[in-house]
Amino acid sequence: MLEVKKIKRLFKSGDLQVAAVNGVSFSVPDGQFASIVGRSGSGKSTLLSLLGALDKPTSGSIKVDGEDITQLNDHSLIRYRCQKIGFVFQSYNLVPNLTAAENVMLPMEFAGVGAKERQERAVTLLQQVGLTENEIGRKPGRLSGGQQQRVAIARALANKPKLILADEPTGNLDSQTGKMIFDLLHGLAKSEKTTIIVVTHDLEIAGKTDRAFQLKDGKLQEKK
Amino acid sequence: MNVVSRGIRNAFRNVIRTFSIVIILGLSIGLSLTMLIAHQAVGDKIQSIKASVGNTVSISPAGARGFEGGGNPLTAANLNSVKSLPHVLSNVATLSDRLTSSNSSLQSAIDAGALGKRFSQNSGFVFHAQTGEAIGVGGPGGGGSFSFTPPVTVTGTNAPTNLSAGPLGGGGTFTLKSGSVFSANSTADVALVSTSIASKNNLKVGSSFTAYNTAVQVVGIFDAGNTFSNNQVILPLATEQNLSSQTGDLTSITLNVDSISNVSTVTSAASKALGSSADVTNAASDAQTTITPLQNIQSISLYSLIGAVIAGAIIILLTMIMIVRERRREIGVIKAIGGSNVKVMGQFMVEAVTFTFMAAVIGIGLGVLAGNPITRLLVNNSSSSASVATPFGGGGGRVLRAGGHGFGALRNNFSNIHAIIGWNIILYGLAAALIIAIVGSGLASLFIAKIRPAEVMRVE
Ligand SMILES: Nc1ncnc2c1ncn2[C@@H]1O[C@H](COP(=O)(O)OP(=O)(O)OP(=O)(O)O)[C@@H](O)[C@H]1O
Ligand SMILES: [Mg+2]
Repeated sequence: MLEVKKIKRLFKSGDLQVAAVNGVSFSVPDGQFASIVGRSGSGKSTLLSLLGALDKPTSGSIKVDGEDITQLNDHSLIRYRCQKIGFVFQSYNLVPNLTAAENVMLPMEFAGVGAKERQERAVTLLQQVGLTENEIGRKPGRLSGGQQQRVAIARALANKPKLILADEPTGNLDSQTGKMIFDLLHGLAKSEKTTIIVVTHDLEIAGKTDRAFQLKDGKLQEKK
Repeated sequence: MNVVSRGIRNAFRNVIRTFSIVIILGLSIGLSLTMLIAHQAVGDKIQSIKASVGNTVSISPAGARGFEGGGNPLTAANLNSVKSLPHVLSNVATLSDRLTSSNSSLQSAIDAGALGKRFSQNSGFVFHAQTGEAIGVGGPGGGGSFSFTPPVTVTGTNAPTNLSAGPLGGGGTFTLKSGSVFSANSTADVALVSTSIASKNNLKVGSSFTAYNTAVQVVGIFDAGNTFSNNQVILPLATEQNLSSQTGDLTSITLNVDSISNVSTVTSAASKALGSSADVTNAASDAQTTITPLQNIQSISLYSLIGAVIAGAIIILLTMIMIVRERRREIGVIKAIGGSNVKVMGQFMVEAVTFTFMAAVIGIGLGVLAGNPITRLLVNNSSSSASVATPFGGGGGRVLRAGGHGFGALRNNFSNIHAIIGWNIILYGLAAALIIAIVGSGLASLFIAKIRPAEVMRVE
């Protein structure tokens, strides 16, 4: 269960204060697939980084299974990111000099999973997202955008997170590949009982999710 | 894959850059090692020069050295005023004179040769000619052929057990070949003669010769190690003073000081006690002239060493900052997926250590190869200026040299400087590399800590 209460994130730029997220409250039960749409600059990425503990809100609370992550110290935040969160970014953000398998193994290494288990799970995950054995051993520079995003999804799943946060995961892909990536995420949410929050511009995709939210000037509304 | 293997792998991500950094860093490590080697070699040399100079203060009559110059001899009162100065352990007092065929039956062990003739002509000395004809002051171009033999030096000493330090002019080393040494305060008409005088005059232990028209008995035969010093007879001080009618007179006093650091104190105290009647010198202050350029090299090499290590640290620091900036996004991603600052920093430190380790291999190679040639180059360049500064010239043609110290020997030491390159140098090299790597990447790590993972949400 994810419970967000009145979170605010203010940015100072010069004399001006920008409220990128301005009093957002919502809750998502485990295993739900939620989408957030909104215009550029409406605060979608900022909200995701707050949920993923990459950034701290100026005020408000974010509870994951009853634990308020805004109160965690730096060490616990790292553990939270490592064990509870999986990130998928618009620009994939794979480590360029590691192979697909090594990229997927990276978060498991941080979580303290043994080498052999890491290797096995990475291969399983990459096969699940549809990479061939040959592709698994390649570095990101030699994979297509869609393949890289699949690797990124496999990496996000590596530590069996509670919450997957995806910021425009299909933004750099053609609509057909985008749909495939989306179906992949959707399927995972069901099979692994993982909560997924995805930011998207694609209203067609957004319409198919369990929940659909819209961000407008830092405020969130649920669309029925 | 772990922090270490990723760090090593990252070091080779950009092969051209890695290659250039390793070369530059290798040069700086090589330079620092070379300077360390030079520093040590020169330091060792300074130590050995200081040790070889010894803790002695020499006192000669004002204006005279050995048989050169003029002035009045030192007196027993002079000796009394300096022999119990603080820090003086013992003293060697001598009276030197020359035996010629007019007052002695001894034949010189040295033939005049061309040098002797030239010196005889140029100096004011009157030597007894072997033909029995006394030659007056032979002016230059005095014409006429004449011959003479260098006189036999006779030295009276109060320290017959410490002959190498005292009376043996010309830097000989005293070795007793047969017989025994007379006692320090002996007044008997006894003598030690050199092996060459003994063989020239058919003397053995127990036989006698005439000096100052008195029969003197040979009690021991010594070898001083060189021809000049071997043309010498050694008597008890009191006997020599007595026979030569110079009671109480001395031509040199040598004070043995307890430590080299007190030599200059004793020198000034002795100078003060003796006033204008004596010249007080010490080898330590003379040696200082020789040591100064070496000390300059030592400090130059120390500064270069520090400079090279700093340069190395700056090279790796800038490199690491450049790499951190370049991989800003990647660092953010690693943090976002659960990597701690410590892990990211560790990875970068391993990368920096990999660079510097490779550079250290090159640097140690360079240091070992260049250490000796560069040390010699530094020393030779500054020793040519040292010979200008050193007042003791090579002095060609000085046949008779007594008292004072031969600094030619010290200067020769310059060319003998040889750096010993041992395992410690290699360890220092690795330690320097490690320090460079840790300092360089440690500072760069501060930049790593400042990278916020939220930045990866921004699309570039
Ligand atoms: N570090 C920052 N400093 C100042 N202002 C910021 C910072 N980060 C974000 N903002 C501002 O906050 C607002 C929300 O930004 P955010 O990136 O969350 O928008 P977004 O909804 O993700 O937009 P897009 O769809 O274009 O990615 C913007 O007005 C942005 O300029
Ligand atoms: Mg955004």
